[in-house]
Amino acid sequence: MYGNWGKFLRVNLSTGEVKVEEYDEEFARKWLGSRGLAIYLLLKEMDPMVDPLSPENKLVITPGPLSGTSAPTGGRYNVVTKSPATGFITMANSGGYFGAELKFAGYDAIVVEGKAEKPVYIYIKDENVEIRDASHLWGKLVSETEEAIRKEIGSKKLRIALIGPAGENLVKFAAVMNDGHRAAGRGGVGAVMGSKNLKAIAVEGSKTVSIADKQKFMLTIREKINKLRNDPVAGGGLPNYGTAILVNIINENGLYPTRNFQTGVFEHAYEQSGEAMAAKYLIRNQPCYACPIGCGRVNKLPTIGVTEGPEYESTWALGANLGINDLASIIEANHRCDELGLDTISTGGTLGTAMELYEKGLITDEELGEAPPFRWGNTEVLHYYIDKLARREGFGDKLAEGGYRLAESYGHPEYSMSVKKLELPAYDPRGAEGHGLGYATNNRGGCHIKNYMISPEILGYPYKMDPHDVSDDKVKMLIIFQDLSALIDAAGLCLFTTFGLGADDYRDMLNAALGWDYSTEDYLKIGERIWNAERIFNLKAGLDPAKDDTLPKRFLEEPMPEGPNKGYVVRLKEMLPRYYALRGWTEDGKVPKEKAKELGIEEFI
Amino acid sequence: MVKVKVFATLIKLTGRKILEVPAGSVEELLEKLYSTYPGFEEELERGFMILINGRNIEHLQGLQTPLREEDIVSIFPPAGGG
Ligand code: SF4
Repeated sequence: MYGNWGKFLRVNLSTGEVKVEEYDEEFARKWLGSRGLAIYLLLKEMDPMVDPLSPENKLVITPGPLSGTSAPTGGRYNVVTKSPATGFITMANSGGYFGAELKFAGYDAIVVEGKAEKPVYIYIKDENVEIRDASHLWGKLVSETEEAIRKEIGSKKLRIALIGPAGENLVKFAAVMNDGHRAAGRGGVGAVMGSKNLKAIAVEGSKTVSIADKQKFMLTIREKINKLRNDPVAGGGLPNYGTAILVNIINENGLYPTRNFQTGVFEHAYEQSGEAMAAKYLIRNQPCYACPIGCGRVNKLPTIGVTEGPEYESTWALGANLGINDLASIIEANHRCDELGLDTISTGGTLGTAMELYEKGLITDEELGEAPPFRWGNTEVLHYYIDKLARREGFGDKLAEGGYRLAESYGHPEYSMSVKKLELPAYDPRGAEGHGLGYATNNRGGCHIKNYMISPEILGYPYKMDPHDVSDDKVKMLIIFQDLSALIDAAGLCLFTTFGLGADDYRDMLNAALGWDYSTEDYLKIGERIWNAERIFNLKAGLDPAKDDTLPKRFLEEPMPEGPNKGYVVRLKEMLPRYYALRGWTEDGKVPKEKAKELGIEEFI
Repeated sequence: MVKVKVFATLIKLTGRKILEVPAGSVEELLEKLYSTYPGFEEELERGFMILINGRNIEHLQGLQTPLREEDIVSIFPPAGGG
């Protein structure tokens, strides 16, 4: 088999058993790998009703067939599991170097099952797999843990995926971190790892991923890299300013969520933009494995020295979303989140909810005592509560449950800007209605990246669509974006390659690497299969489309108060039935037998 | 006078983030900027985003969109992220 090894590791932490299991080419042709492999295994082997933090939940850590090859951005991996935040599937994706290294060790995935009696870490060196004691690492920050494991094993090649204190303390939005500042962030995958008493996975490998037609692959890769280099975004905007170049763009377009999405225009946006970061703190870019784009930022601050990030999302979540304009505080908070192993989007989202609850008089000074008040713009909130919530100390224990549960505990879940209990990212859907439909229908809840309609609606990729158009064309575009994102995730590439590459380009790279002759439609079918399989998982996990495929009331009922989108709400009701129909689903949002049959997944219905 | 906000690489070319330019349409505005700031035209050769009071000119009248005194125009070179 090419690209994939056709092999994955199964590690049962309850019994200590380690097994290598195999699958064949036919399977790969159906699921491609990574996100596809993972959803198949979870549907096949696990009851979707399991408690996400119980030993019965499985954690699948998986790079794709192009991970570890020289395909541009081929270093990605997914962490797929049942999310403790949403109770549905989550597939958190990360870059860096870990995913590629796991391929070099000869595996397409690690399936972690059960729960260790005491803290452990897994050390993998090719065929040699050990479960080691990690009692001495429990409680340590991400950088401290990496350093300790490196010292212990004494290898420079080591790549490590791990959790910080947040994952250990089962914070509902704890991330799995790797290579210092890269995060598989969304949906609390770090808490699932923590619930298994698994602190880290350290990998080194010596193998080379096999390619079907090396010469053709090299020529194809060269062509795609050139395309990316010559693209004004992938080869210009992103390397120069990082993803935070979006701050001004989204703000000027009037959908930069400010103060927990109360408005879409932030008066201090420029001060926290990619432009400001480049002028003040940036020292260089940081690319992931085999990435010609290099959107990662390395910043230097007098207070904390050299750090990586923040990305656009983190800048917003810890900035405008809290009414905070001080970029240095944002960078410091982002660094702290990375060290503690927290998803920055949900951290900021949860703090934003707390601030609105405070503004509305629901959280009181009395309750907070000596702790800083949740006042908009108060940077103390960042400095104080991020540590507290990661350790579940004082009020931090409430925050650690995420924004939805926090707001619900005060009787006002509507102040949580989340979908399926996952905090929303940095785009107010009242300024991009197709993106709003994406939020409502995303398999992992309030997520932007798996259906990035901001591309057509705001940025004009692949072409410009009116952000307030809710026609069938818009809905169809969303479906293509969802299926294509699933495909790119399954291939092991970065979604940012879509600024420069189209569906045919992924086909070319995959065909040359895997030795297949699939058409673009065949590949998109894999994406569609994955999306539908994930939907089936969610339905079996108790998803109620009428209740769960929706948006916070604010976006449906409160018109945007100012800016270019003034007066708009999201016309979700008009779009959702057409989304179901165009997906080939039932009127009530279920995957019918015929559709499952068409996709070859009827066994899961 | 139209208020023009420029971003990213354009700031380096103009030396300022906000400019004031007399112009009756987007096309006229661009011509003025091109002739005043060397390199401005090249920066926008491979695409741009132009907003008038936050609305993309693609959904107005494109380059022919008329400008009024109090309008704020935002100009970006091609950009993306996520
Ligand atoms: S574009 Fe950015 S996130 Fe994606 S692989 Fe490259 S450096 Fe990593």
